[in-house]
Amino acid sequence: MKRKILSVLLCAAFAVSMMSGCGSDTGADSGSNAGAQGGASSESDMAYVQDKGTLVVGITNFEPMDYKDESGEWVGFDADMARAFAESLGVEVEFVEIDWDNKVLELEGQSIDCVWNGMTLTDEVTSAMECTRAYLNNAQVVVVPSDVADQYQDTDSLSELNFAVEAGSAGEAEVSALGLNYTAVTAQADALMEVAGGTCDAAVIDSLMAAAMIGEGTSYEDLTYTVSLNSEEYGVGFRKGSDLAEELNQFFADSYADGSMQECAEKYGVQAALIEQ
Amino acid sequence: MAILEVEHLNKSFERTEVLKDISFSLEKGRVLSIIGSSGSGKTTLLRCLNFLERPDSGSIRVNGEVLFDTSDPVTTQESEIRKKRLHFGLVFQSFNLFPQYTALENVMLAKELLAKGQPEYKQQKREMLARIEEEGKMLLGQMGLSDRMHNYPHQLSGGQCQRVAIARALALKPDILCFDEPTSALDPELTGEVLKVIRGLADQETTMIIVTHEMAFARDVSSQVIFMDDGRILEQGTPAEVIGNPSEERTRQFLARFTQG
Amino acid sequence: MELIAEQFPIVIQSLNIGFIQTLKLFFVTLLGAVPLGLIISFGSMSRFRPLSFLTRIIVWIIRGTPLMIQLLIIYYFPGLVLNNPIWGGGESGRFLAASVAFVFNYACYFSEIYRGGIQGVPRGQEEAGLVLGMTKSQIFFKVTLLQMIKRIVPPMSNEVITLVKDTSLARIIALQEIIWAGQAFLKGSQGISGAIWPLFFTAVYYLIFNGILTVLLGRLEKKLDYFR
Repeated sequence: MKRKILSVLLCAAFAVSMMSGCGSDTGADSGSNAGAQGGASSESDMAYVQDKGTLVVGITNFEPMDYKDESGEWVGFDADMARAFAESLGVEVEFVEIDWDNKVLELEGQSIDCVWNGMTLTDEVTSAMECTRAYLNNAQVVVVPSDVADQYQDTDSLSELNFAVEAGSAGEAEVSALGLNYTAVTAQADALMEVAGGTCDAAVIDSLMAAAMIGEGTSYEDLTYTVSLNSEEYGVGFRKGSDLAEELNQFFADSYADGSMQECAEKYGVQAALIEQ
Repeated sequence: MAILEVEHLNKSFERTEVLKDISFSLEKGRVLSIIGSSGSGKTTLLRCLNFLERPDSGSIRVNGEVLFDTSDPVTTQESEIRKKRLHFGLVFQSFNLFPQYTALENVMLAKELLAKGQPEYKQQKREMLARIEEEGKMLLGQMGLSDRMHNYPHQLSGGQCQRVAIARALALKPDILCFDEPTSALDPELTGEVLKVIRGLADQETTMIIVTHEMAFARDVSSQVIFMDDGRILEQGTPAEVIGNPSEERTRQFLARFTQG
Repeated sequence: MELIAEQFPIVIQSLNIGFIQTLKLFFVTLLGAVPLGLIISFGSMSRFRPLSFLTRIIVWIIRGTPLMIQLLIIYYFPGLVLNNPIWGGGESGRFLAASVAFVFNYACYFSEIYRGGIQGVPRGQEEAGLVLGMTKSQIFFKVTLLQMIKRIVPPMSNEVITLVKDTSLARIIALQEIIWAGQAFLKGSQGISGAIWPLFFTAVYYLIFNGILTVLLGRLEKKLDYFR
């Protein structure tokens, strides 16, 4: 019974430290601490993955990077590349949908082995995870209703607007750097909903997503995107200290060299954004 | 020979002495009334006899058999107490009927459970249950409740509930039936029906101990009266002695309140 | 409207799958927490002081912290700190972890309701049983239990209905219950993206299921109405 209490208290103490870690601005310390506790730093992460025979890929439903086709299979530029990478390691691939807010937790808790889901390489991300080189270009774009779009064609015109952005996203970093008013919501799609519903004037989301989700022929026909706030790049994240990041860099280089990466990018319409490896 | 002999019973709660050296005896077929102001230890005495409280010292004998004696530890063991309880029946001030059972079921329940523990139950289940039911109906009839047997307690008046409770206690045929202020929770117009039932039992020579504030009734029905004060037996004797012509000043004071009120 | 009609069959199918997860978690929690709660309530009422003290401390911790944090700790703690991800990353592991957290959490709530129910039965009931020569277990099963059940049905109904809605918390460890399924269409799933209505529509599922539960629990309450 005494041990039970001890472990409960331990859990509680841990939860508190976890919370404070997530709350800190840089995220650098908490990331590396978690990494030191995890198993990846002590032995080869690649050996660990090959030993258990599956590469567990943490994803969210994010067209065109990772999404389900009609038969329920995970497809997309990221999903297809992940499948090929797992094959090159000689292991099975398993896609697991995660809560994006918990991606570092999932990695360090070893419930997933990598985050491969159009992840923007921000300072937070690169300090908390072992990341690959960038493989895809992206931008954060401002989404506004089409009928007022011509009033908001440059950064200066945005100061009066109320923005909706995904909490912890690159978009949030941009609007807060510009000192704009914003509301943080749980997903990029929620940010679009805020604009469509009129509760916010504008949203900032990924350009790749904006291209897929708004404008003619989508559910958000009355929205359009105008200013690009920055350009950014996507990468894949592994546990801190993992040797798999370097392995994947090599795999990207090989796939780019033999043209299979370009082929895959064309299949999902992102070839223009592909970065030379 | 006395059916009940109580000797040198003491009981304290925390530091308060509730019973101080209580000794008395009761003959078979007689009625003992215990009177005294509230807090004098009357109820605790009854609860000790029914083993709801454990005396700190003293002995209790029924029919010469030692039920409880602090100088003989074997008799105070918890495991033995359940059977000993069956020598006594207890009717509570607040009835304590089981609300989820009908009047008849209340009367039959304990008997049924006892029957189930007997070796011949398996073969003679139906006969035994039929007998228990018949006895239950008879007892309720005796209480004047034949038409109320299948009612639940909340459908009965207080007086009817108390009569069911008396039948329930009688069903186990206790040697001594105890009443803890059986009419105190009743409206005045309902006390009569309960007292009438108790009087009927006295006429049938049921051995009873009655804790009561009904002085006229106590005087009328009992063969023996104990006046308790501050955990002690201050006076005991026939009703004519204790109620009619008390020798102690304290007893007179107590009784004066009833004659005035 | 036309668009919704077009999306309806796809969305419903997906919501149904999510709702099955919700129901599974609901029933597993109920089946586990109802008996475990009784054991915990006996622990907290134990006359052995250290046991009752420890039980009450545990109940205090579980009731005093958010279920969401408990889910995070139970799922991530083994992999993060003990370096042993016992649950695995797959859906069944997440479900198991969620079940453990929910059963334990709800058992603690139930235990307090039971305790109130048992202690709410007047002491005279037990005493009446004792003077009739009944054993402690006979008194519990034949006298106290039903009165206790009658007392706890209304507060238990409340908890059960809260539980139905609380299952949505399990999405914090990415258990794909119905709200997760509804939200997927916001982000884009099966060719539908930016659809808001599926998320709102999940409320209909909760409402109907809780409606059924309310009727059933109301019937039980009525059934116990024959005594007071």
